[in-house]
Amino acid sequence: MIRLEQVTVAAGDFTLRDVSLSVATGQYAVVIGPTGSGKTTLLEAIAGHHRARSGQIIVADREVTRLQPEARGTGMVYQQYHLFPHRTVRQNIEYGLARRNMTRRGRDARVSELAELLDLEPLLNRSIAGLSGGEQQRIAVARALAPRPRVLLLDEPFAAVDPATRRRLRDRLRELHTREAVTTLHVTHDFEEALHLADTVAVLSRGVLLQQGTADQVFQRPASPEVAEFVGSGTVMSGRVVPCADGDGGPFAARFETEGLSLEVIAERTGPTHALVRAQDVTLSRAAPSDSARNHLPAKVQRLERTGPVTRVFLDVGRPLTALITTESIDRMALAPGDDVIAAVKATAVHLF
Amino acid sequence: MSLLPRPARLVAALLGAMLVLLIAGPLLRLLVEASPTSLGAALRDRELISSILLTIVAATAATLLTALFGIPLAYLLARNQFGGRSLLVAVLELPVVVPHPVAGIALLLFLGRHSAIGGALAGIGLAVVNHVPGIIAAMLFVSAPLLVTSAIEAFRSVDPALERVARSLGDTGWQAFRRVTLPLAGRGIVAGAILAWARSISEFGAIVILTYNPKVASVLIYDRFTTTGLTGAIPASIVLLLVALAGFTTVRWLQRRPAA
Repeated sequence: MIRLEQVTVAAGDFTLRDVSLSVATGQYAVVIGPTGSGKTTLLEAIAGHHRARSGQIIVADREVTRLQPEARGTGMVYQQYHLFPHRTVRQNIEYGLARRNMTRRGRDARVSELAELLDLEPLLNRSIAGLSGGEQQRIAVARALAPRPRVLLLDEPFAAVDPATRRRLRDRLRELHTREAVTTLHVTHDFEEALHLADTVAVLSRGVLLQQGTADQVFQRPASPEVAEFVGSGTVMSGRVVPCADGDGGPFAARFETEGLSLEVIAERTGPTHALVRAQDVTLSRAAPSDSARNHLPAKVQRLERTGPVTRVFLDVGRPLTALITTESIDRMALAPGDDVIAAVKATAVHLF
Repeated sequence: MSLLPRPARLVAALLGAMLVLLIAGPLLRLLVEASPTSLGAALRDRELISSILLTIVAATAATLLTALFGIPLAYLLARNQFGGRSLLVAVLELPVVVPHPVAGIALLLFLGRHSAIGGALAGIGLAVVNHVPGIIAAMLFVSAPLLVTSAIEAFRSVDPALERVARSLGDTGWQAFRRVTLPLAGRGIVAGAILAWARSISEFGAIVILTYNPKVASVLIYDRFTTTGLTGAIPASIVLLLVALAGFTTVRWLQRRPAA
């Protein structure tokens, strides 16, 4: 478990101010924030590389605020991986096992276990030079996990790999998190990563933690315009995908069914899943439109929230749905709470994850 | 592709050839004098051999002392920003531009018998001027910048994040330094140390003022040249040149070897 209580850290000319954050044991937490928001500083403060000016940092029920980095039991994976260039892949992975009172056999067993989990066996005797980004990333994860840290800290771990590799690594990381049962704090600027991985999401901006909650909470009810602007907003639903036609392995037309609602979607697999509809992908009209959107949902306007040029519209389509419409259109349509409208959503705008 | 048109490349090559001739020519001319007989004579020359040994021992001592005092400082300077940092770096580089006899005079004033420090050292039985410590002091003064600046560069080239990773994996600061920083910076530091050593071997101007006797090789060569002329100075010159070349070759080899 990780708990930060009003932690203030000054690192160079950057300051984290009064950050409070809580990650339960075994949870996967994702902190999202734009570049320069203090994400790396936050991780380094937990790992003990920056001294907290005030506040408390608690890792696995132990206050570590004033402890040296080596005494904190944190494993860190940096965005650039920072593998030791003077050591082989195996020597990198077993680096943290050196002084752990382990027999040679115990060390080898731990390295083999992680190498197998992360598909690193063929690489073990290679030198670091010439490895791909994805390979380096997996080695860095294996190295951090080897000494069984109490918490795993991941700094933009997918930033340096291509999108296809990113998706594979993401699934693997989630799987690994479950197997190793290690409390994980992952920072990223990518909200999609948070949706896929997070049990709990926090939003960091300019050194201040703006909101913490589940991914849907943050997405559906951004605590401030700043959060909404950064993560976007919309609706997250859990349900299941049922096929319309026989799939051929590639993406296919299907229906996503959730309580009170059924949507046409493009799916890659059937079964239980989550769907995300971004608020800006929902359009509203008085009568059924003649657009190409596949989903035309009768909706009742619950509430309008005006924030300057755009207005957030909370709808009931059998379940809650949020739309983001320009204030100008709202005025043109003279939209008011209680009105009946048609909400249109393209099948391709429903993101399944 | 070069920016230079063909005729300009030719001119550059000719100009360069003259410069290379001016450097390589005299050294080759001196080495031509090396014959089995002249080298045999040099090796039987007791005064020459002991002077070469003195030079090597003193240069090694000066290099080790610089390493002891300079490497921790280099790490400090590579990793920390503090007020007066650039002034400190400038002071460390200063000896490069101080003419060597001037350095000798300055050292003499600072370490001489009548100075506060020289007097105190003499009080504990350590005579500097006209003794071996004077040689070492002069060598240290002129060669320290080479080692310290190389070490600063070498430490800077090691990403501090690697040290942080090592700390998170359970290393204390010292263990991370020993297991990560030093192996990665080591080659640059050793290259700097050998450069400093070779610079010490070749020092003349400051040593001749501080400690004429016992004579280091360069002082002996000068002494022979002024007393017995050119022929007397040649064997000693050849031997000293070979020692310096050995150091130089080692540095080049270290720089070219691929990283371990």
